[in-house]
Amino acid sequence: MTCDRAPQLSAYLDGELDLSATLDLESHLETCPACAAQLAAHRALHEAIAAADLRHHPSPEQLRRLRRAVRGRSAPAAPTAAGAPPASRTLRLPATPRLRAAAAIFLVAAAGWLVGRRWPAPLPPTAAPTAADVAPSDVAEQVVASHVRALLAGRPADVVSTDRHTVKPWFAGRLDYAPPVLDLAPAGFPLLGGRLEYLAGQPVAALVYRAGNHLVSLFVWPATRSQAPAGAPAPPSAGPARTPTRTSARRGYQLRTWTQSNMTWWAVSDAAPEALDAFTRALKAASSSS
Amino acid sequence: MRAATLTLAPASAAGGRPRKLPRPAAGEAPARLEDMPSRTDEDLRRRRFEAAVLPHLDAAYNLARWLVRDDAEAEDLVQTACLRALRFFDGATATNPRAWLLTIVRNAFYSSLDRRRADAGAAPFDEALHTGERGGPDPEAHLLRRADAAHLRQAIAALAPVFREVIVLREIEGLAYREIAEVAGVPIGTVMSRLARARQHLQDHLAAQGLDGGRP
Repeated sequence: MTCDRAPQLSAYLDGELDLSATLDLESHLETCPACAAQLAAHRALHEAIAAADLRHHPSPEQLRRLRRAVRGRSAPAAPTAAGAPPASRTLRLPATPRLRAAAAIFLVAAAGWLVGRRWPAPLPPTAAPTAADVAPSDVAEQVVASHVRALLAGRPADVVSTDRHTVKPWFAGRLDYAPPVLDLAPAGFPLLGGRLEYLAGQPVAALVYRAGNHLVSLFVWPATRSQAPAGAPAPPSAGPARTPTRTSARRGYQLRTWTQSNMTWWAVSDAAPEALDAFTRALKAASSSS
Repeated sequence: MRAATLTLAPASAAGGRPRKLPRPAAGEAPARLEDMPSRTDEDLRRRRFEAAVLPHLDAAYNLARWLVRDDAEAEDLVQTACLRALRFFDGATATNPRAWLLTIVRNAFYSSLDRRRADAGAAPFDEALHTGERGGPDPEAHLLRRADAAHLRQAIAALAPVFREVIVLREIEGLAYREIAEVAGVPIGTVMSRLARARQHLQDHLAAQGLDGGRP
């Protein structure tokens, strides 16, 4: 190929050429069979790679170890790990000399660095957490923190769609359960999307709804896990679990939590209490009828 | 020496107590978060770190596995990268956590490579040397399209690391050029030319394996 357009052809295939370069290349392609053939070859290679599914996946055991290392705390043995030995209660890095040395260096550096650093308050000054705010029922605190964090970041949803048939599949592969995603638009609470959140060390689904001018973050996870709301009855053994709605407020945010259909639900918003009550009623109605 | 345990126990985080997990007896349910000591700012930072990193462990492992020789080394590399990521995490890396984590994985690989090369006395990769003339005609597009996974895997693995990483990041991870430039630490123009050359090398390799003559 005598034309020196290889980089442009490659970028054109990837949709990374700007408009004028694209037009220029397209007119060139009409008159240059060598470049047209080269582009076709690039495209064929791209399709072959996509079809071959060449992604490497970590094994479930590797993924478990990596997640444990990231969380820095022990995790219970996965119930689906048939035949695997129970996970040790203390986190152990793979005992290679390299990683031990790295961990030792890291701990010394982290200790010194943490002492010297002061973190800016992650929440608005009027809502800065104090020792009195942090209660033993720490899930409520995390729920509020997650909601506020999402508002501050300006990106309350990672999958943005009003269609629950788009939002629900997005969680597949990101969670080990299927979160119910309900359509509350008829009740006046349109779905805006969803995001992944981490509460109590587990990935959970967060759904974002609109209530008037306010956003509602709705968290839902299987009720058989240990984060049932404090004071709720023991997890169900049979039949749909149902507990009454518990109402609370933290730093100006309204919270509602309940158990229904074997799921634990938390809703948080800075909407008025009546609005969040209406949201909760609409959600419970939609959940029991689906 | 005890096996290394990774806990965050700050010497004196402002106002907080060190986080210690109560050790449940064997067979007991895991400790509830309600039973744990009070949160500190460090907990919030740690949770944000986990939220930034955990969704991208698969992508990190994929890149690591393409850069190194085997599964164990790939896991090692991702662990090292996560340790470093925690150190560098400033609570505000939210714009593109996937690219950020992949950058750390990639850099961790190359720094280990430099150590190994220095030990072995090898010369560092010279990109100019690997752009040489192509031999043979281009393989036909319809034959390339039928290249099977094993051949493709081998062809990509045969690329030099700087070409392999742009192919993996573009074709498998689907990153934009801007993101690849961030991960590889080079200008976008370099990403563009490296990708073009990487694709050419792949086509040459597959052609040499006989895919342009209809041979298996």
